[in-house]
Amino acid sequence: MSQTVVEVDNLSLEFLSPAGNLMALKGVSLEISKGEIVGIVGESGSGKSVTAMNLLQLLPKTKINIPSGSVSVLNKNVTEMTEEQLQVLRGAEISMIFQEPMTALNPVLKVKDQINDILFRHKKISPKEAEEISIGLLRDMKITDPFRVYESFPHELSGGMRQRVMIAMAFSCSPKLIIADEPTTALDVTVQAQILSLLKERAKKTETSVLLITHDLAVVAQLCDRVYVMYKGEFVEEGKTNQVIGSATHPYTKALLNSLPEGKTPKSRLATIEDSLTETAKESIPENKTISSINSHEIILEIINGSIEYPKDYNIFGAPISFHKAVDQVTLSLEEGKTFSLVGESGCGKTSLANSIVGLNQLSNGEIKYKGINIKDQPPEVRREIQIVFQDPQSSLDPRWPVWKIMTEPLTAEQTPTYKELRIKASELCEMVGLEPQFIDRLPHEFSGGQRQRIAIGRALSVRPKLLVLDEPTSALDVSVQAQILNLLLDLQSEFNLSYFFISHDVAVVKHISDMVAVMYQSKVVEMGEAIEVLTSPKHEYTKNLMSSVPTLEIKQ
Amino acid sequence: MSNVKLPVFAGLVGDFGSKNFNWDKIRQVANPEIVVAFTLFAILTFIAVFGQFIQTHDPMQGDLLKRFTPPGSEGYFLGSDHLGRDLWSRMVDGLQWSMACAMTANLLNLFIGSTLGLLAAEKPGMLRIIINQLVYTLQSFPGLVILICVVVVVGQGFTTLVMTLGLLSWVVYMRVVYAEASSLFQREYVQAARLAGVSRWSIMFGHVLPGVRASLFVIFAFHFAGLLIAESALSFLGLGAPLGVPTWGNMLAESRQYMIRAPWMLIVPAGAIVTAVVTMNLVGDGIASLSRKKGRSIDV
Repeated sequence: MSQTVVEVDNLSLEFLSPAGNLMALKGVSLEISKGEIVGIVGESGSGKSVTAMNLLQLLPKTKINIPSGSVSVLNKNVTEMTEEQLQVLRGAEISMIFQEPMTALNPVLKVKDQINDILFRHKKISPKEAEEISIGLLRDMKITDPFRVYESFPHELSGGMRQRVMIAMAFSCSPKLIIADEPTTALDVTVQAQILSLLKERAKKTETSVLLITHDLAVVAQLCDRVYVMYKGEFVEEGKTNQVIGSATHPYTKALLNSLPEGKTPKSRLATIEDSLTETAKESIPENKTISSINSHEIILEIINGSIEYPKDYNIFGAPISFHKAVDQVTLSLEEGKTFSLVGESGCGKTSLANSIVGLNQLSNGEIKYKGINIKDQPPEVRREIQIVFQDPQSSLDPRWPVWKIMTEPLTAEQTPTYKELRIKASELCEMVGLEPQFIDRLPHEFSGGQRQRIAIGRALSVRPKLLVLDEPTSALDVSVQAQILNLLLDLQSEFNLSYFFISHDVAVVKHISDMVAVMYQSKVVEMGEAIEVLTSPKHEYTKNLMSSVPTLEIKQ
Repeated sequence: MSNVKLPVFAGLVGDFGSKNFNWDKIRQVANPEIVVAFTLFAILTFIAVFGQFIQTHDPMQGDLLKRFTPPGSEGYFLGSDHLGRDLWSRMVDGLQWSMACAMTANLLNLFIGSTLGLLAAEKPGMLRIIINQLVYTLQSFPGLVILICVVVVVGQGFTTLVMTLGLLSWVVYMRVVYAEASSLFQREYVQAARLAGVSRWSIMFGHVLPGVRASLFVIFAFHFAGLLIAESALSFLGLGAPLGVPTWGNMLAESRQYMIRAPWMLIVPAGAIVTAVVTMNLVGDGIASLSRKKGRSIDV
């Protein structure tokens, strides 16, 4: 543990742009020893990726300015290296694992060619030896049929498998340091758990240092020896993982921990970063005040034996001959004013089901009843009582429309209100979802992710819906923003007696917000019941597996 | 002049009429190439509009005593032709003819192409199949050949030429609008609008058409250049403008016999065509880079 692999000393960095320079890093110091796994935790935009990119000198030199500080990797100052010297360093000494394995792997080359490309560049070996090394690496990644994977194209592999290949490639030249930039964010929880343990095991065995960049404190708790907490371009706290998580000293770290839904009373308000950073806010936030919902026990939505099939193969005339079942015989019911959550991995059919509730696609079999009547027989004005909030507020808002127009668009469908009426309505909606009403002339790109999600929620609320379908509304957001949106949803529910159909892969969020939970696995609902019951004492094999895969803040030694 | 034209065009591409429109931003993104493009375009437009006032002679009136006057002498700014007519004045007339023809045909193309593109993109079905088959049929003929065939049958003249070009060369618009609108119709904000019960026309004109607007401006400029060439080529072959009308194509055709004796007769119309085509291509590039810099990539 004595040898230092990376040493960053008092590094500041600013981005140059015609609109004004932006200080991205303010006096950052970082040290990584041999064989150590170090995490950098922070929200998007806090500068964590910039820190890592700078180790490899991957930032365009004309666009940045470094007023102070030095970066040395393996006792060599990388800022003074030539491009040729850096090339030797990259890949051979330092390698990188990216977030999205689909885009990080070249889609037109086989796994074989991509691994060999790195091996041949940095080692003088024959193709035969390269194959042996590669198969060995893939086997180390616990890939059961390494020969098939070796001869496959990336699109033939699953997300988890691709990430294993990426890790195998990262280890291929036995580097001294691996930079992992959100390596498991794009993966399902069950796969994430496998990948994390693989990465840890492999790094410890080969004494490779790992710099892990993530927004997820739970991932850090699972994997890292030491952790740096980053906030607005500065490390606000650093130390051994269990110290930082167990007894955080800096207010930001505390706030970050408080904003996680994990371990909090269900349906209680989560502390947001702003709450925790401003001291006066403490009194105004009722601690753990459980928000009660009205129990009417009236069933608002019912799905009976719902199935959705997509055509898989077609005959030569274009008629489908075989079908893929996306949703298989699902029966569930949602009481008014309650939250029903659907948990499952990507591809299990949860979004298909949500889309069929709002009418974006049709059930192949079975029926959906809204207020006791088949939804197809309900008049349009009743069907509009069901609204949807999408996952990514970036793509669900028209980038060319000002906020007032976006929020009031549903109102223009039936009547033709005047410009003035619409603007008044938009201001009301803004207040409802916690936005400043004077911002209604701005365009979506002038808002942050959380604010955009508020706009999307405001649009859904404009037609006074009874039921909101929430398709992963917080998974594109930072944890602290997630806390704000969850608080908002809970407030709105108690104020307007809304019913939520909530879809998520995040068990902690689901546990926090739901009354009822259904766990979906391979198109079927495998377990359903009261949220607390299902998620604390799961019965089905898959639910058990899911619950044990969720990374937690508890540190396993 | 560039300062007048430039913001107007950038505005059309982006936040036209919006309160966020910012002249300073435009000045930041205006690189030399864009300034040159829009200056040239402004000059061409000026000549086309105020042609009558800057012509030095009557373009149709010849002076046989002053045949083949070289440029710059005896009051002939760009020389005279085999009948002693002023080439500068004829070129100005030609510019008006070509610009009017290309502009009208282009607007017709824009209208037909984007309407069909939007309709085909909206949803799969019979309409999409029919429109696509129509496009394949049109594309399977070489462009100029089909134009020549039609002109031979229907005859010459401004109206026939404009109608022929206008009704037959909209495929590029349809293709681009179809491709971009197909992806825009799948966007979540369009789905959200549908769920709220917003009508299909409101979705088309409110969400989808503004989404392809930037691309439409770019194609408009490039296609304009293409139409100028097509018009000149048809006139050169004697199929576009009626004989005697001073268009660039006709002027080129006339110059063929006197190429050695009076090379300026060839150079003037050819230079005019090249300038106009290059200008329109530069304008197209300029609009594309302006809309990219404003963060709205045209290749969505």
